[in-house]
Amino acid sequence: MSPIHPACRKIETDLVAVAAGEAAAAEAHRVQAHVAVCASCRGDLSRYRAVEVMLGDLRESPSPAGDVTLARAELESRLADLRRRLLVFGVFASPLGPILLARSEEGVSLVQYLDRAGAASRLAALPGIEAVEDLRETEPLYRDLLDYLRGRRTRLDWPLDLRLARSDFQRRVLEVTAGLPYGAVASYAGLARQIGAPSATRAVAQALRWNPVPIAIPCHRVIGSSGDLTGYAGNKVALKHRLLALEGVHVLATRGTHRVDRRTMYARQWGDAEYCLPSCGSLSRRSLAELELFASRERAESTGLAPCTSCRPDLHPLPA
Amino acid sequence: MSKAMGDDAFETIVADHHAEIHRYIARVTARASEADDLSQETFLRAYRAYRALAPGANVRAWLFAIATNLCKNHFRAEGRRRRAHATVKLAGPRIEHDGPDGEAVFAEASARIDGIVTTLPLRQRLAFTMRKIHDLDYGAIGQSLGCSPDSARAHVFQALKKIRRGLDALAIPHTEPER
Repeated sequence: MSPIHPACRKIETDLVAVAAGEAAAAEAHRVQAHVAVCASCRGDLSRYRAVEVMLGDLRESPSPAGDVTLARAELESRLADLRRRLLVFGVFASPLGPILLARSEEGVSLVQYLDRAGAASRLAALPGIEAVEDLRETEPLYRDLLDYLRGRRTRLDWPLDLRLARSDFQRRVLEVTAGLPYGAVASYAGLARQIGAPSATRAVAQALRWNPVPIAIPCHRVIGSSGDLTGYAGNKVALKHRLLALEGVHVLATRGTHRVDRRTMYARQWGDAEYCLPSCGSLSRRSLAELELFASRERAESTGLAPCTSCRPDLHPLPA
Repeated sequence: MSKAMGDDAFETIVADHHAEIHRYIARVTARASEADDLSQETFLRAYRAYRALAPGANVRAWLFAIATNLCKNHFRAEGRRRRAHATVKLAGPRIEHDGPDGEAVFAEASARIDGIVTTLPLRQRLAFTMRKIHDLDYGAIGQSLGCSPDSARAHVFQALKKIRRGLDALAIPHTEPER
């Protein structure tokens, strides 16, 4: 084989470009001039053109892997599985501090106060869950929350997904807590009675301590039987105070303790259809475990309760 | 609430691109089973990431980039497992060209290209397949490979030169320049 002429070596890339239909005018001219005098490169050019024709053929040919229907079906099932496991989340600088909001395709599944922006979230440690940040999806939730914190709405009508609940017991506690209306408070002991486990007061408190969706499920409306706020989301009792104050509940804060003043609230016994003044009959001597308290008559009446016919809170309302 | 998750948009992405991505990976890896796995992985990754995708982004080029990365990782791992990887023939339909001799040679050559492509260095194979089979532009190919559009073009041209030389052993029917 004779050694390749340097000009031929140089022109080869241009031949490829011309055959591929990608040559600039200058390259095309060079090629034209060269192949006019070089039979060997003329041959190469036509072979490159033949390759392009065959590639066109290859492009049109079916996939070398054949039918993809099965592969597609398997992909769909794995995607469905991933979709079920996926939580999208966003972290927002709320008036209550940095807060993480996460939801699944079923509903809101986590509301978490972060001690500081970038703090490790509970999401990281959850088996069987994949978390992906998505501000677009979670921002509407944040806007609802802001409206709530500014008093523009009294409930977060979010579909909830309680998959992060740790037990059926906790799920039951959360479900009962979800029924506490805006502006009302009840006690851990009262909730324990509600779920038919009157001796489980501490377990109820624990269950609420790990409430995956605080505010949405208003565990801040559950307090100790003495009226003490006791705790909230670990060590955030000041937030509990704030959330209750927003609803019109009078909370007294003295020397690090926060307590609800029963004497400033209307009350009803669980199960009764009427609400009373705190001084009605034997109410003031009853344990908070037996009572639900309301910040105002409107709050009590908006849940369908009627004023008591003996103490008449409608005629002798408490001072605002 | 499920509908708000943007799943409709992603279902469209799968419907529009799965077959093509699968075909791309099948050609690059030369194995149907790898194509099943890697195309699945491509779309699972895409599903996790597409929320962060800028509106108006070129979804097709983005999927090719994910698939290309997975192919590269796949061959890196493969290379570790056994130094030289033996090419395994594809189990798939082959088109039989019956007819005049020229056409038979042409079909053989066409099949031969597949064979030559599997012997190319990985980056050339990826660049060549994206350009010549899937018609992506050099910008998109460069992004997939992490190189400039010019280097992407150089990879494709290198591949074409090797294919031409590989076919020289066969008597290829020439297409004469039209004149």
